[in-house]
Order: sequence, then C-alpha cells, then structure tokens
Amino acid sequence: MPEVVRAPLSHPAWQHWPGSLLAAAIILLAVCGAGALFWQAPALDIGDLWASRYLRSVVLFTLWQAFLSVSLSVLLALPIARALDRHRNFVGRGLLLRLMELSLVVPTIVAVSGLVSMYGRQGWLTVVLQEWLPFLSWNLYGLNGIVLTHVFFNAPLATRILLQALESAPSTQRRIASQLGLGSLWLWRSLEWPSIRPVLPGIVALVFTLCFTSFAIVMTLGGGPATSTIEVAIYQALRFEFDAGRAALLALIQLLICGTLWWLVLRKGLNTALVPDRQLVISHARPDAKGVRKLLDSFLLAAFVLFLTLPLLAVLARGLPGLADAMMPSGFANQGLQLLQATALSLGIALPAGVVSVVTSLLILGVKPRSANTPISRLLETSAYLPLIIPPLVLATGLFLLLRPKLGIASEGLALVALINAMMALPFVMQLLRGPLRNLDPASTRLADQLGIRGWYRWRWLHWPRLRRPLALGLAYGTGLSLGDFGVIALFGSPSAPTLPVLLYQQLGSYQINAAAGTGLWLMVVLLALFGLFNLIGKPSTKSQRLHSPKPIQLETSDA
Amino acid sequence: MHFPAARFLLALLLPLAATAQTGSELTVYTYPSFASDWGPGPAVKEAFEQQCSCRVNFVVLESSGDILQRLRLEGDSSEADVVLGLDTGTMDTARQTGLLTTHQIDTSSLDLPITWADNLFVPFDWGYFAFVYDTEQLPNPPVSLEALIAAPDDLKIIIQDPRTSTPGLGLLLWLRHVYGDQAPAKWTQLKDKILTTTKSWSDGYFSLFMNGEAPMILSYSTSPAYHMAIDKTDRYQAANFAEGHYLQVEVAALVGSSDQKALGREFLRFMLTDGFQRHIPLKNVMYPAIDLGPELPDVFNKLITPSKTRYFKPAEVAENRRDWLDEWLNAMTR
Repeated sequence: MPEVVRAPLSHPAWQHWPGSLLAAAIILLAVCGAGALFWQAPALDIGDLWASRYLRSVVLFTLWQAFLSVSLSVLLALPIARALDRHRNFVGRGLLLRLMELSLVVPTIVAVSGLVSMYGRQGWLTVVLQEWLPFLSWNLYGLNGIVLTHVFFNAPLATRILLQALESAPSTQRRIASQLGLGSLWLWRSLEWPSIRPVLPGIVALVFTLCFTSFAIVMTLGGGPATSTIEVAIYQALRFEFDAGRAALLALIQLLICGTLWWLVLRKGLNTALVPDRQLVISHARPDAKGVRKLLDSFLLAAFVLFLTLPLLAVLARGLPGLADAMMPSGFANQGLQLLQATALSLGIALPAGVVSVVTSLLILGVKPRSANTPISRLLETSAYLPLIIPPLVLATGLFLLLRPKLGIASEGLALVALINAMMALPFVMQLLRGPLRNLDPASTRLADQLGIRGWYRWRWLHWPRLRRPLALGLAYGTGLSLGDFGVIALFGSPSAPTLPVLLYQQLGSYQINAAAGTGLWLMVVLLALFGLFNLIGKPSTKSQRLHSPKPIQLETSDA
Repeated sequence: MHFPAARFLLALLLPLAATAQTGSELTVYTYPSFASDWGPGPAVKEAFEQQCSCRVNFVVLESSGDILQRLRLEGDSSEADVVLGLDTGTMDTARQTGLLTTHQIDTSSLDLPITWADNLFVPFDWGYFAFVYDTEQLPNPPVSLEALIAAPDDLKIIIQDPRTSTPGLGLLLWLRHVYGDQAPAKWTQLKDKILTTTKSWSDGYFSLFMNGEAPMILSYSTSPAYHMAIDKTDRYQAANFAEGHYLQVEVAALVGSSDQKALGREFLRFMLTDGFQRHIPLKNVMYPAIDLGPELPDVFNKLITPSKTRYFKPAEVAENRRDWLDEWLNAMTR
C-alpha cells in the first residue's frame, strides 16, 4: 500500500489547536459576559452586601439544601445503578433508561406540576399517606419539596452516569469475577468501586452546582423568601433594580463557592484510574444477580420506576385533554398547527445547539496535554464547568451588552440563543464523553500507532465505535436541554413565532390552562422521541452482534 | 449521523429566507400573553395594519420587567418603536432612563378609576389585584384584608414574590397603602397562611392553584371573567375586600430613538379606539382603557367593584420600592 497519502486531519495541530482555542473562547465569553456587567456597574459596595443578614442566610440555606439534595441523589443513584448493571435484560429497561435521561431536560414548570399532583396537599400520594399513616404529617412546601424535586431531577442523571461507568468495567475482570462466583461485596470492591470512583467527584460537583443554582423550583416549593437561592437575588438585581454591579457581585459569590468545589474535585483529577476497556462490552451473568438479591433489586427498581413515572403520568393525565383538542381536526387548524410550528422552530434551534455542544466537547476532550497539571489542562477543565457556575442570566445579559451593536436581525439572535444553549449543555455532554474517549486501552492505542492509523481514520475506526453510544446520548442531552430552555430565549426576545417553551408560557399567561398542559405533555413527547431516536442512532448497526444464548457469556452491544 | 447535520444546515438557512421584508415596519416590544394567539396581539395587529399600510412586528420578551431591561440594555440603538406592557409599578423607572419620548396625543377618552395626566405613558388597560378563590373549596372567603390576616392558619393562600412578579409587587403596595408603617407587622401575621411564594403568576396559577393546592391565589379581579366567559364556569371568583383593592394600569410609550415616531404616535392613538380596545376584555382579561359601552362583555358586569381604589403615584413607588422590599424580606424571614 503506498504511504504517500496522508490521512485527513492527521496533522498534530488538529489534536491541539481547535480544542484549546474553543476552550479559551468559552472562558473569554464567560469572563466578558460577567465582566460587561462590572463595566456597566457604577460603584460596588462589597461591605454593604456582606453585612446583609438576609444574604448570609440565603447563602447558608443554598449550601444546606444543595448538600442534602446531592447526598440523597447520589445515595439513591448508587444502588439503582448497581441494580441496573446487574440486570441487563428485563423488559422495559430501555424505556426506563430513556425516562431517566429525560428527567434532566423536562421543563421545571411541567415537572413541578406533576410532582405537586403526587406529593402536594391534594396529591394522590399525600391523600393515601394520610389515610394509612395519619400520624405522619407530610408537607411538600419548604425544604422537603425542594430536596424531593432536586432528587427527582438529579438522581436519574447521577444513575445514568454511574451506570455508564459501571458498564465500562473491564470485561476481563468481569469474566474472572463471574468464574470465581464473587459475592456482592467482593464485586463492589474489585469491580464496581474502581469504575465508579473516577466519575463520582464529577457527579457530586455537577449535581451540587445544579441544586445550588436552582431557581424556579426553590421559589415555587420553598414556601417563602426564607428559602431563596443566590440566583433569586441576582434575578432581582438585574430585572427589577437594574443594579448590574450587585448582580455581578452576587454572581461572583456564586462563582467562588461553586468554583472552589470544582477546583477541589479537579485537583484530585477526574481522569485518574484509566480503566482499560475494549469496544465490546461482554456482559457476564453476575453471580450476585440471583436469589434474595434479585428480589431486593426488583423491589428497588420498581420503587424507582414509580418515583419517576408517577409524576410524569400526572403530567400525561393533565395534558391529554389539551393535546387531544389540538390534535382533533377541529382544533388542528390553529392550535395543532401552532404546536407543530413551535416544534419546528424549537428543533431548528435545539439540534444545532446539540451538535455544537457535542463537537465542542469532542474537540476540547481531544486535546492531550502533556501532563494533567499544565495550565492548558486547567484551562480545558475550567471551560467545561464555567457555563454551569456562571448564572445564565448574567452570561446572557453580559453577552447582550457586548454583542448588541452587531446584532442586526432576529435570526442572529436565534443563532446566539443556540450558541448559549450549546455552551450550557457542555458540562453534561463532556461528563458523558470524557470516560469513553480517555479510557481507550493502551493496547489498542499502541496497535493503532504501529499501524499508522491516524487522523480521521483513527477517529473512524478506533474512537467512533466506542463513542457512538455516548455521543448519541450527549447529542440527546444537548438538544434536549436547548429544547426545554426558556430563560435565554426570553431574554433575547423571540419574534412572533414562539418556541415550544415560549408557547407554553404564552398559553399560561392567557389562562389557556388546558392548552398549556397539552403543550407541556407534547414537549415531553417530543423529548422522549428525540431521546429514543438518538438512542437508535447510537446503536451499532454493523451485523447482529447480539447473541441470545443462555450461557454465562454473552455479547452485549446495547443498553436496550 | 447525517440527519442532524442536514437539519443543522437547514436551520442555518431557514432564518435567511424569513428576514426579507419591505415597507415601513413598526416594532413593538411586548410580553408573551399579549402577542400570543389568544391575546389581543394578532387582532390588534391586523386592525392597525389595515389603516396604516405598514407592518406591525411584535418582539416578545419574558415579562413587563424584561421590556424595560431590554430597553435599558439597548439604549439609543433600540430596535423598538413602541414599548407596550409597562405598568404603574415600573413606569417611573422607565421614565428615568430618558429613553422614551412624549406621546403628544389626546387622552381625554380614557376611562380609568383615577385621573390620568402623563406626557410619556398612554394607558391601554387596567385592573385590580385581588385574591381569586375556588368556591368549591372555600364557600365563604374572607371579606377583608384584615379578615384574611386574622383568619386561622389552615386557610392557605398562594402569592407571588414581589421581587420577581408584578402582582407580587402589587400585593406589597396594597398592604403598604392600607397599613402604612404597620405593613411589616401585618406581613408577619399573614406569613403562616402563605403556602408558598412563587416566582411568577403562571407558576402559581398553573402548578398549584389549578391543581387544588390552595383555595386562594393572588391574581386579578378580572380573572373570573375569563373562567366565566371562556371556560363557562362560575367556580373561580374574586374576593371583594372591604379596604379596597390596589390598582394596576398597563401603559405603552414611544421610544425616543425610533425613526418611525409618526407611525408610533398613530399606533398610540389607535390604541385608544374601539378597534384596539374591544380585544382587551376577553383577550387580555383586563378592563379596557376607554368606555366600550355595550361592547363590554356581560361577564364584566358580574365582577367585583372595589369600594375604594388603592394607588401610589409611580414616582412614590420608584422612590420607596427598595426599602419596602427590604422590610418585607425582614418580616418574612424573621
């Protein structure tokens, strides 16, 4: 074979520059966004802010609820992920995984409505609970509701990432464990803990940040201003008092607290314990998947399924009449058509946002710094988490200030919305892609080096088969997050054509309660379809590698 | 993977096709429910376009607060010709920006509970804040603010946060107007009856009130009109409080940097005619700013008539809002 043809994209610069530049651009964007506010601010009175008793209590409460939410989410996610890893072939497992992925992207107003109809004062479960256990006085409003809702949103996310880590446990070790008939505890120590440990700090930091910056949930279910988060104060400063300086200062406090946490996590290094892994996950029957354990797992999973699906069923029950109206021939002409138009516009923003976030993640993760402690690697890691910590409102307002004179037409505004959405999805997408991309086993890498498989071909033949599934999931997350976004698009203002979430709020504002419930349900259906579709795309299509054999060794190529 | 790539390209190209427009265009910044298909926006746009040979272009922002925020951010380079949807709570802050210009139109046809004289702002509708209650859960609602405050704590109400919501701020001003310096003490008494304080009216109305979580929610005295006229139900009614109700007037104004000032003034003038106002009662669910005569829907005659109108001058609100908010926060977090 002649060696003169270079593989496309095989120049070493391709591995370095695009990712580093993108990371730098993200940091610049974030710094400029927040910086623009400072620049607009007249004078800052830091002492005044610190002296505020209210602000101190807000910070303490925010820390406390975030701590509780993270602990419960992770404590719930661990056994569920283990159970899902033990049992890979039960009916509905695929659907359960899709639902778990969905929970992150469900618009809060829709999810909160569902949770309220379960656990609220008039909720189904509350009524049953009062009937059976009258001495238990359950009140959703307050810390209870905030933590419950955060667990509802974040436990599935944590489970999904943990499960992916568990599934990447090296097959040789799995085989040995299977042959030795190791018990649950031994499996945990030898197999599960080593696969989970590298991702756990990241999950904790991710969930903590999400709970720390939570806004609408805390306000709706918190009961009153005593249970506020810093984001509420930022919102107040920006929207009502036009006090850019105060907003920027509050954002800085948030940045300090969350940034410290991320720094602690990153200092330890998220990418340690690189577990060698081959492309095909060969799943062995787990010796601890039988007997009492199986019964326990079934119970646990069933409870989790109920916890996830009952509120969603409430959303379904509430939205069905409105959606049926829209889909009837009589209502289709305006309501249904409007729904479809909004869906098209939403997808027009969300799909590019998803693609951009995945491509950016790949490029940033693709950069291989010489050591884990160089400024470059710090830069890369920071760029991944900054979008989470900087309040979107601050970022969007700052960018608006910076870019405003150059924003001529509405479509550029929409492109900017897509871009900001893509940026906000980065932390999630990178969390999904980091493991599979970095954990390529040395043997394969060596082989590829020896054979001179570089550039595009290396990507095509070495990474793609292993990244296919996480990529599809990352794309689904990126798109889904953008699809459910209301905050960013609301700031930039939409022309008369609304996106799905904007349509939902328009209907709410016009007392169209049924139609709004229908739109909420439709949004969920679109999201579910999207996740299902991306899951199909993520499935390897080459031949049928799935062997249905009752033997302890079988090939597992998909999670469905 | 080819599919998303194709969609990406399509999405990049589509907006280009949509931006080609000609003729004079009037850009109006407004809030979502006004411009929505159920709101007055589309009908008003059509009626005005018939007489002006122009195009009306609504830019929808999240809320009335955001209209002002956007205007401030854009400054002199704003695209807006008219802003529609500010209210008496935010009006003076908008005035202080210096970005708005005089309307120069005759406002003598206005029919409001207060006399209106303002050179910048033209009212387009108004309403009273009120507690809307579910007659099935609460057949005998409190008859006054005082009775509500003195009610047993198992009567639960849903309110909105004055820091993030217009009705929320309305309630703060309402209590302030009725009780003056005693307001913080009254808030402390009211505190345990508040089930929760939501970010926006929609959050509370949709997620909680319509789910039956509490029998009363802070809303408008006109809300039952919608339920009676469109939903055909008398179930939701507004409680008439003896102390009177706080007034909200929604206004529009001309933007100083607009290059369509003549057209903008024509729009503001049109705003005070039947062609615009007849869409207000059932589509914006507020009282029209002029006397519509027999065109006012019947359900509006079934609404409560407050014994007294509670109202602070916009300048007074702007001056004291920060202090009153801090007082409220202190009372609520004590």
